[in-house]
Amino acid sequence: MNYVGQTITILRKDLSLEWRSKERITPMVLFVLLILLVFNFSFELGGAVLSEIGPGVLWSAFIFAGLLSLHRTFASERQNETLDALLLAPIDRSALYLSKMLSNFVFLLAVQLFSLPPFCFFFNLSPEPPLLLLLPVLVLGAACLAAVGTLFAAMSIHSRLREQFLPLLVLPMMVPALISCIGGTAEVFDQTQRFAIGDQVEIFSDGLVTHLQMLGTYAMVFNALALMLFEYIVEE
Amino acid sequence: MSSSAVVAQGVSKRFGAAAALRNVDLNLNNGELLLLAGANGAGKTTLLRLFAGLSRPSQGTVLLAGTNPVGSDRRGVGFVSHQSLLYDELTVVENLTFFARLYGVPRAHERIDAMLEWVELGDRRHQRTGTLSRGLKQRLSLARSVLHEPSILLLDEPFASLDRRGIRLITRYLKSLDGVRTKPTAIIVSHEIEPTADVINRVVILRRGRISLDRAWNGGSGVELQKLCDHFSEAETG
Repeated sequence: MNYVGQTITILRKDLSLEWRSKERITPMVLFVLLILLVFNFSFELGGAVLSEIGPGVLWSAFIFAGLLSLHRTFASERQNETLDALLLAPIDRSALYLSKMLSNFVFLLAVQLFSLPPFCFFFNLSPEPPLLLLLPVLVLGAACLAAVGTLFAAMSIHSRLREQFLPLLVLPMMVPALISCIGGTAEVFDQTQRFAIGDQVEIFSDGLVTHLQMLGTYAMVFNALALMLFEYIVEE
Repeated sequence: MSSSAVVAQGVSKRFGAAAALRNVDLNLNNGELLLLAGANGAGKTTLLRLFAGLSRPSQGTVLLAGTNPVGSDRRGVGFVSHQSLLYDELTVVENLTFFARLYGVPRAHERIDAMLEWVELGDRRHQRTGTLSRGLKQRLSLARSVLHEPSILLLDEPFASLDRRGIRLITRYLKSLDGVRTKPTAIIVSHEIEPTADVINRVVILRRGRISLDRAWNGGSGVELQKLCDHFSEAETG
């Protein structure tokens, strides 16, 4: 079986397991909704304040919800030591990384997309067309978090304290990407609000493009590093 | 002339301060069926995991078909572990199909049907694996391990949780390997000694991480083999 076939086979298996168990998506969705609800009662968001605080609220919810799920990336393969079966199979180690990263990406993006309507509702953000520009920010943000999270989930797999260990590794490493996620989201919220009051908007502002480039570069560099290092990390 | 399928040269394995294996030398020729016995904590599973390439020795060399098994292509290995190595949420047939794809098993459907027939799980093919009893899961685990027709079988407690019928299925399979043109090499780690007596042709006993007996087994009763293992393994006492 070729590299793509190996990746797809493991990815399909992971998606199929999640579809049946919902053990990763459900806690993530509930967690994001809970955070949005708490912030909704804590801050009176709206108007200009939304662009300043809203992106931070949104990405805090995404990151912490993501961490809930990321440690399950390989923990689920330890249940019946199925990781041993995967390591014994004639598959490229990087295909194993890629499939795990892609499944994390799908789960994170699904939760992000699911959370947007409640966010707009709670924080009075009208869903105007410029809000679609948030899609590339979400996609690249999820790709960055999936790459970092998958690699460090593999590193912490043999640790009994992996639940505590993983956030300590992931959060500092995600800071550069997180700054761009929040910056890009703020740009999109700003454009959306200006559009709603009839102001002229710039589809891809310089600020947004810079943040997207930063996220794209981060995701590429981290994935390239992970693809090279994964073999040494996952083997004992 | 026979060639070495599995080699351990001066192998030691430590877990922190505890030594699980001490300077083990073992050489298995192609087609040999070895019983690896010993008391709890003697190092049997540790040695098997080293042969599978799932662990690295602290000292010494392990070779599987002439290469270091860690990180290399181990498609020729069939491995049964204490754990099932199966996905509980997938059905019986989905588990086998998944591994058949990973191993690129030709005519996978036919092979899976044959395996399910062998382990007598044909009528449970669409049952979720997590709902199977331990014994049935163990049968499925065995089917998974030989699905790709491996040339080296590493079986850690293959008889665990199995009833007499299940044990017969395995011993019959192992006996049937005699008729195979390229007979696989097998290492069976087991506390159930008697069923292996008319299957194996060599017995190695580990005691406190060292080989205390290594001799050919040319047939004999299960009781004799059990006595031999008891004598050379002895309970690990502090």
